[in-house]
Amino acid sequence: MKRDLISVDDLTLADIQGYLDMASLLESVPDERKLTRLPGKIMMTMFFEPSTRTRLSFEAAMCRLGGRAIGFAGADATSVVKGESLVDTVRTVEHYADILVIRHPKEGTARVAGEISVRPVVNAGDGANQHPSQTLLDLYTIQKLYGRIGDLHIAFVGDLKYSRTVHSLIRALIKFSNLRFLLVSPESLRLPPYLIPPPAECANVTFQETRSLEDAIRSCDLIYMTRVQRERFPDLLEFERVKDAYCIDAGMLRDAPGHLRILHPLPRVNEIAYSVDRTTYASYFQQVQNGLIMRQAILLTLLGVTP
Amino acid sequence: MSEMTQMLIPKIDNGIVIDHIPTGYGIAILEIIRRDPGMRDVVVTLGLNYRSTKFGKKDLIKLWVDDVPPRVMQHISLVCPGITIKRISDYRVEKRYVIRPPQIARNLLRCLNPSCVTNAESNVETCFTIVDAEAKKLKCAYCERVFPLSDLRPIVP
Repeated sequence: MKRDLISVDDLTLADIQGYLDMASLLESVPDERKLTRLPGKIMMTMFFEPSTRTRLSFEAAMCRLGGRAIGFAGADATSVVKGESLVDTVRTVEHYADILVIRHPKEGTARVAGEISVRPVVNAGDGANQHPSQTLLDLYTIQKLYGRIGDLHIAFVGDLKYSRTVHSLIRALIKFSNLRFLLVSPESLRLPPYLIPPPAECANVTFQETRSLEDAIRSCDLIYMTRVQRERFPDLLEFERVKDAYCIDAGMLRDAPGHLRILHPLPRVNEIAYSVDRTTYASYFQQVQNGLIMRQAILLTLLGVTP
Repeated sequence: MSEMTQMLIPKIDNGIVIDHIPTGYGIAILEIIRRDPGMRDVVVTLGLNYRSTKFGKKDLIKLWVDDVPPRVMQHISLVCPGITIKRISDYRVEKRYVIRPPQIARNLLRCLNPSCVTNAESNVETCFTIVDAEAKKLKCAYCERVFPLSDLRPIVP
């Protein structure tokens, strides 16, 4: 049976551990051997929304494994502008490739693609809903930084309402245990309540809210910063009001605990000053590096190939 | 049923009786029925706040119709699980059953999220799973948002 990667809600703890183990294993595989893993395989990137890291890292991951990547970036270059339905687009392109990677502004699009396609489908972001490959690389980064995923105090800062990376990551993290979440956001960008599960459903996981970034710097092991996403705001005046609500710079980190690390799914705008890049707290470019490894792990897993 | 109640609700010769509706839900269920195009011309009797030996009070609906479409019945079962359906033939109860809500409601309700793919692609069916039967909360299988059942509107064919 084919496997998709659509939502972290579909993944068991064992599934997540499988991806993490595969990524870890890949780190020790020589580049020449990796090139022999997916020769002749074609990956289709169907990006109906802009992307730099996700699309390029999936394409690079496929090339590093010896396969090829084809696809489009932006619906303007496809028959969608002629009125072709998503279903017909998927049923057409699946004949050209062995695996589909799809990003779309409408939530649930990847699920639809997964249901109708005979090829494995990867959700590379669907609106404000999910971004599971980002989640897996975030989890992999956390595991590499701390040697564990449980027993951590994690702050999520910024746009917690529309950030699919935050939504995905929280839903994955609550599968682990002994985690405390500190939610730092403007009032209008608070985490939607439906993402906070009833206490009975997650063991030893607590949620707290604050408006203070300083609280997070002082008390947390990890700060997950997010960009306030202009493209998700129905009201641009509201965007202007909150866009710079939380910005972090090296000066604010002067008294931060040494073990603190800062992650960001990137791209950033103003929320992390360039001065932070030179500190030991900055781990967001390690995330980028881990993204390439994790996406190789995802491709191999879904195509049923060993490293 | 008392003599007074019998006077208020005329007996039907052939049709469907939806019985043991919790008080206050009769009108909501009637709205669900009336939204279905196939049910708009059906003769209906609605009884509110009738005495019930089982529940103290209840609402009741009688429909002069051979059958209620399964999608309407499914929607009713989500709103009021456990109500009784009686099929009446020649003034007698021919069949009686209690309806239970489905675990998955497929193409029955419209997703409230305007960014959900089911509201963008006309050929994609909606699908909801019950995540909290007591609180009547449903999760869209596509956009993964959770909604109170009372916020969701049925798909009118």
